[in-house]
Amino acid sequence: MKYFFFIAFAFSTIIAEAQNNRFIFGFFPEASLSYKISEDYSITHKIESQHGMFDSNRLNDELEYEHSLTDLQSFLGRRLSPFVKVDIGYQYRLEEGENTHRSIQQVSILQRESYFRIGHRIRIDQTFFKEEPLLFRARYRLKGQIPLQGQELDPGENYLAISNELIYMIQSSEDDLENRLTGAYGFYFDDKNKLEIGLDYRTDDYLVEDRFRHRLWFKFGYYKSL
Amino acid sequence: MNRLRLLVFTFFFATVGFAQEKNEVEKRIKKSEVHEGAVDWLKDAYENKRKTKWYFQTDGDEEVYEAKLKHKKHLHSVEFNLEGEVQNVEVLIKEKEIDKEVHQNIINHLKNNYNKYSFSKIQKKYTGKEDDLEDMIDENEFEDITINYEIEYYGKSDSDDELWEGIFDENGIFLNKRVVKIKATDNLDY
Repeated sequence: MKYFFFIAFAFSTIIAEAQNNRFIFGFFPEASLSYKISEDYSITHKIESQHGMFDSNRLNDELEYEHSLTDLQSFLGRRLSPFVKVDIGYQYRLEEGENTHRSIQQVSILQRESYFRIGHRIRIDQTFFKEEPLLFRARYRLKGQIPLQGQELDPGENYLAISNELIYMIQSSEDDLENRLTGAYGFYFDDKNKLEIGLDYRTDDYLVEDRFRHRLWFKFGYYKSL
Repeated sequence: MNRLRLLVFTFFFATVGFAQEKNEVEKRIKKSEVHEGAVDWLKDAYENKRKTKWYFQTDGDEEVYEAKLKHKKHLHSVEFNLEGEVQNVEVLIKEKEIDKEVHQNIINHLKNNYNKYSFSKIQKKYTGKEDDLEDMIDENEFEDITINYEIEYYGKSDSDDELWEGIFDENGIFLNKRVVKIKATDNLDY
């Protein structure tokens, strides 16, 4: 539990700085389901949803529930070695205004250390809109998983998950950067069932003048594999 | 709506409940929870090393205590049974620290069996009686000590592509191996 407070505290100091810019807070549940279809190939379905509770841009109704968006994703993955996996994926996003399609390609590399492990994820994606031009993004995520009881993560034990992702995006000639920092407390029920509860702090519009934006999501994700 | 919620919760807890079949456990314990005999042996052999971490381990059948400490710039893992009797000492070493001839034999085995290989973790394992193991640590005497190499390595052949744990004898002759199961990476990949 102390780790959870530590994570909350670390984020609260960042948020204190964020007051001058646009700030959004909300809930972000997600769940994924993975299963093998052959020795090397696997399928993963994921649903994630953002629910805004606070937006500093809404002058008199800052505190108001708003369904921001829901993403439905499916991936086809191929394991190239015990440590390297490639995926192609498709996402359908439900959002007010316009629902969008996105294609995704990614490579994930597992780095094993004696007391923890790190997942590197390199991803590119393309989002298609009806009217607007194609949005292209390139992203790199680093996620560490650290056991909290002993040096090995055994069923019934907990872990700490910390990740950071940098995203570069470009749409026609306008480009921007986004950063996503997350800290979560993980429950490792067993290798097929994991629950992560934590905070996801996103900042974007770095390259757009006077529009820096902070978003803080209270995230809970369930990872299930068959 | 309520019924749906109940269904989701039931499903969730049913899966979790089903999943709680524990077998392998390794957890940090306090020195006071360890058998006195183990603490005493460690004190005699390593002469009051301060930073020792104690663990309790079980694979479902066998239960042991394990002490991890640094000694002469190497990480030592000392295994004791529940009666506090020392079982073996494992020392984490680098590839270049393996004796030349032993190293050559290990490499020969890997070259003959895999198209591609790389070491990920090498431990030299010493097994013997309590007194002999103590002499080995504090007097550097290796009488009646059995030496094995426990090597975790990645090996790819035409038929296999796995992370292995291989056991080699003191001359680097291959004895046996097993696949090291890598934990699911779904939470790192998506």
